[in-house]
Amino acid sequence: MFFNNGRSTNLKKPPAAGRLTLDRVCKRFAKSEHAAIQDITLDCRPGEFVVVVGPSGSGKSTLLNIAAGMTRPDSGSASLDGIPITAPGPERAMVFQDHGLFPWLTAAQNVEFGLKMAAVPPSERSDRVADALRMVHLSGSSEKLVHELSGGMRQRVAIARALVMNPAVLLMDEPFASLDAQTRTLLHHQLQNLWGQTQKTILFVTHSVGEAVRLADRIIVLNTRPGRIRKEICVELAHPRVFDSPDINELAKLVRKEIEQEVNRANALAAEDSWRPEETADLGTFADDVGSGI
Amino acid sequence: MLGMLGIPSGFGERLHPGWPAPLEREPNQPPLAWRIVHSQLIGADIVSAIRLIVGFSISIVVGATLGTAMWRWSALDEFLRPAFLGLQTLPSVCWVPLAVLVFGLNETGILFVLVMGSTFGISISMRDGLRAIPPLYRRAGLMMGAHGWRLYRYVLFPASLPALASSLRQGFSFAWRSLMGAELILAADRQGLGYLLELGRDNGIISQVVAVMIVMVIIGMLADRLAFAPLEKRVHNRFGLGAVG
Repeated sequence: MFFNNGRSTNLKKPPAAGRLTLDRVCKRFAKSEHAAIQDITLDCRPGEFVVVVGPSGSGKSTLLNIAAGMTRPDSGSASLDGIPITAPGPERAMVFQDHGLFPWLTAAQNVEFGLKMAAVPPSERSDRVADALRMVHLSGSSEKLVHELSGGMRQRVAIARALVMNPAVLLMDEPFASLDAQTRTLLHHQLQNLWGQTQKTILFVTHSVGEAVRLADRIIVLNTRPGRIRKEICVELAHPRVFDSPDINELAKLVRKEIEQEVNRANALAAEDSWRPEETADLGTFADDVGSGI
Repeated sequence: MLGMLGIPSGFGERLHPGWPAPLEREPNQPPLAWRIVHSQLIGADIVSAIRLIVGFSISIVVGATLGTAMWRWSALDEFLRPAFLGLQTLPSVCWVPLAVLVFGLNETGILFVLVMGSTFGISISMRDGLRAIPPLYRRAGLMMGAHGWRLYRYVLFPASLPALASSLRQGFSFAWRSLMGAELILAADRQGLGYLLELGRDNGIISQVVAVMIVMVIIGMLADRLAFAPLEKRVHNRFGLGAVG
């Protein structure tokens, strides 16, 4: 059903580095009844695009923060290419939902920041910054300040800022969630192309099924309360994908069906007995969200 | 002195008939500018400006350091913040008696009053400004390898600049007011703008009193309009924070 047209990344030689491994990771926050994530084991192959989908409160961001080294797990371990992850670092670059660019710096200076911290010589820095900005098609806006950029441009600078460090893994925390639909589709295309060029391992968190189906090699569906892996779905569609193709829509429908039950369960939990959501017959193409409003 | 700022002679006389008549204008007086340059006013301004620069610098360093420490250690914050908020309500002239008893009628006493009058406000706004930094900046900084002092130098300090600029602007007006108050009473070396004001009262020269008051207002406004307001505006524009008054 999901034919391979020969341009699949699976046929390319995989990159040597970038194996991100989470091994039986648990994390519970104080004052919380349930574990944010419980017993999650996840192995991202070098160059693989893994998308984690789940309703709000399913521990998606916690999972990503553990991979980034911002949060230490209660038990279990996280490692990159066999080296345990203990602290944040530029080899695991993160793209945040609210970009996190520094408003006192220009776009180029924001991209340069990590290189400066890594004591890269200035001459090399400017070349790498120019390259990174070219990759996200923002060469013309390098001298602009953050508040002079549009939402989509800010996220592209944030991606450039992550890529310029030449990380082994790119961690993306709902990076396009606050953008409008057109900009989001544009950035899906750009990210797909960037991934094809750079062959980075990407761990991408979202609550949008549409986004997951467009981008992922593998979709991980999480449960809520406690956050557990509910299902893994391998997407065997070739890259680059045509986003409105029947294959994509068909797959999106399948994935939504998988998630539907979980969303309803999460909704019921959130509503505390007083209200039960009705069974959804067909979410349709536009119902991308799996519970962002819960 | 009388005609210096265009105040008509006899002004004081009419208000207070019992007061000594102001000095009459001499027939061959040198031009106004010459008289201003050779009056005590310029010397007093310079002395006050030096005191302000020294005292306000101490306030900035102490205030910003305390503010940063309060932000960093919550135990210190819980201990100092209520005290600072309370002390901030104390009019700065109320530090004068303590300054006299502890330091005597001297330069240290003046600086003490100035520093006490402006440090607490700077500490509080520095602390508030640092607390308002989005946690995301810290995470982004760590992610890009800004650890330890580099996180402070390259992320947290620049991120606090809008708050710092606003607190400097506010702190300056506190410092200026405190200094003038302190000089009124503490200037045993007979120097400074506040002392000149007090001298006007001693000699019963209303025109001098009013003239010095006007100069105080002008200097305060000029410093705000030419230095602190543009600084604040520049920082806020850079950050895209919109207009400031």
